[in-house]
Amino acid sequence: MPDIYSTEWYDAVRAAINAGVTRLRTIPEGRFVVAVEIAADGRSPYVDGEGERRFLMEIEDGSCLWYRELDPGEDEKAHVAGRVDYRFRGPATVFDEIAAGLIDPIDAALRGAITVRGDMRLLLRHAEHVKSLLEAYTNAVSTTWPLGRPPYAAATSGSEGAVARA
Amino acid sequence: MEVVVLERRHEEGGGLCTEELTLPGFLHNVHANYHTFVDLAPPQADLDLADHGLEYVRPEVQMASIFDDGTALTVHTDLDKTCASIARFSEQDAETFRRLYTEAHGYVNLLLGTLMYQPPMSMKELTRALSVFGVEERSEFLSVKLRRETIDTFLDLHFTHPKVKAHLAFHGAVCGYANDVPGLAMSFPLLVGKIDNWRLCVGGSHRLAHVLWRDLAQHGGVLISDAEVARIAVDGGRAVGVVLADGTEISARKLVVSTIDIEQTFLRLLPDGSVPSELTAAVESDLLHQPWSLFSVHLAMSEPPRYAAAAFDPDVDRAWVVNLGYASTEELDTDWRAVRSGRLPEVCRPNAAVNTLFDPSDAPEGGYTGLLRQIAPYAVGDGGPAAWDEMGHWYGRRCIEAWRRFAPNMGDGAILDWTPYTPADIARKLPNMVRGDWMMGEVSLANMLDRRPLPALAQYRTPVEGLYLAGSTQHPHGFITFAPAYNALQVIADDLGLEAWWRDV
Repeated sequence: MPDIYSTEWYDAVRAAINAGVTRLRTIPEGRFVVAVEIAADGRSPYVDGEGERRFLMEIEDGSCLWYRELDPGEDEKAHVAGRVDYRFRGPATVFDEIAAGLIDPIDAALRGAITVRGDMRLLLRHAEHVKSLLEAYTNAVSTTWPLGRPPYAAATSGSEGAVARA
Repeated sequence: MEVVVLERRHEEGGGLCTEELTLPGFLHNVHANYHTFVDLAPPQADLDLADHGLEYVRPEVQMASIFDDGTALTVHTDLDKTCASIARFSEQDAETFRRLYTEAHGYVNLLLGTLMYQPPMSMKELTRALSVFGVEERSEFLSVKLRRETIDTFLDLHFTHPKVKAHLAFHGAVCGYANDVPGLAMSFPLLVGKIDNWRLCVGGSHRLAHVLWRDLAQHGGVLISDAEVARIAVDGGRAVGVVLADGTEISARKLVVSTIDIEQTFLRLLPDGSVPSELTAAVESDLLHQPWSLFSVHLAMSEPPRYAAAAFDPDVDRAWVVNLGYASTEELDTDWRAVRSGRLPEVCRPNAAVNTLFDPSDAPEGGYTGLLRQIAPYAVGDGGPAAWDEMGHWYGRRCIEAWRRFAPNMGDGAILDWTPYTPADIARKLPNMVRGDWMMGEVSLANMLDRRPLPALAQYRTPVEGLYLAGSTQHPHGFITFAPAYNALQVIADDLGLEAWWRDV
């Protein structure tokens, strides 16, 4: 089982996304770049300090063509020919809990825990595909959690890593 | 691209006008007073309007309802305080409100982004997506059934106390959503999600129009005032410019955008035969306007109102948007029925706002500006809209007397001057608000999303190539949302292959 946020884990998520596409009744056409920003929140041990973990993926006709985790400070434009079409942003604990299957990503978006920016009409028109993508992220990959598995203890003013590992 | 904005009036802004209607130094927001979407609207950040001097105040006590028995309910920016106020009437309703607000506040940005700041989808597409995402199962308050229900039905289902329901219905009414119209329950949770987002534009509402002009000017655009468009020039089925009332011809290399009403655009400005006769017929007969308007009283005062209900809840004296007397949804329903049939409400229950409490710059030192608003018909009985010219001062006095019932100090000593502003005045001053329709189209299920203003015109394009619609006639509606023009711009950018820098997410 791959470690969360490892190359193997991203590969497994990507494979799950692409497997899910084959089960869709209609496959959305077009090419979209999606950015995901996972912000440190003092609880998750997988995003340090006040930083963030960022990755990009490109979806073409429903399938994930590629993904790339960006280095700190790396300009996403170096990897995107046009513009980013969708951006998902939220605290690391929320993303971790989604990946661990503890919370539902649609619930998280409805609660405002994750913000979504981009053309919402397309997102709604391709609701089945979006749901399939989210399920791949949430349920399709057996994941190991080397620094501790969510749910995490409540945040303290101390080191988030120490709290999570305790 | 070069842009010229042509304005019939002496200044930009339309309903965003602030004028000294009473005494020198007293600045009255003639039309738009309440800005509840500005912080949610993408253009505010896209255009860096704050850098141009745009500033808002969000009063701590946002709203109040004051009732005949001396009790009052207040809505605060602090949810706990709002719930405490509601709990004085019903603890159960306070808990329901907390759950509703918390749920709706979570998705308000997401759903407003989906519903308002994109060209409209169909109701069918929308409900299908909500079904796929299982939103109904995840929500206590959102339901596909709401698209057939009134706000009254929603309130009866979830709340118990008449005064709590009255306040929530009043909030919807001030936003243009009548509580007895089927289908508007669909939007009601979203309205509650921003019930504490009433904002006052510092320096007067016109400041917003002014900073938009500054941004336009800084980027090379030109605004010409006192420039009434008499005709849209069409050549070969394409809009190629406009002709002004003084005969000046202005050519358009790329496009012409109309932000005024559909009637003027299609029946007055376009040459005969420019659009299919079926569309002309639909414009003549199928457009839906709000069947009610607003009667206003603008006041110059020497002191703010001191409400008798402050003995019950002292915060009413610090509240901005104040409901004077509606204590049940039935009372509102009775007035909607009266107004839609051309009658004045039997009991005058205006709402009141004193902007100076939050922006002292709108009055001379020691002075206060006041605003009373009452739902009212555009045409009164057999007298039509002209009847307002005879009865404006009489009805204004009735509104002031209604205020005095709740704030006894609002007598002649406190009121230095006042002037009525009638539904007929609205239509005269701003002809695009046809029949005093300040939302520029009915807010109803039949005139929503891809049906507004007509299905053939809902996507901001027209049958005339290069002619677009970007005013509040379009989805979603009026109320200082920026959304119709923002959405039209997306369509224009797609059609012209322009780089849409503002779409960077």
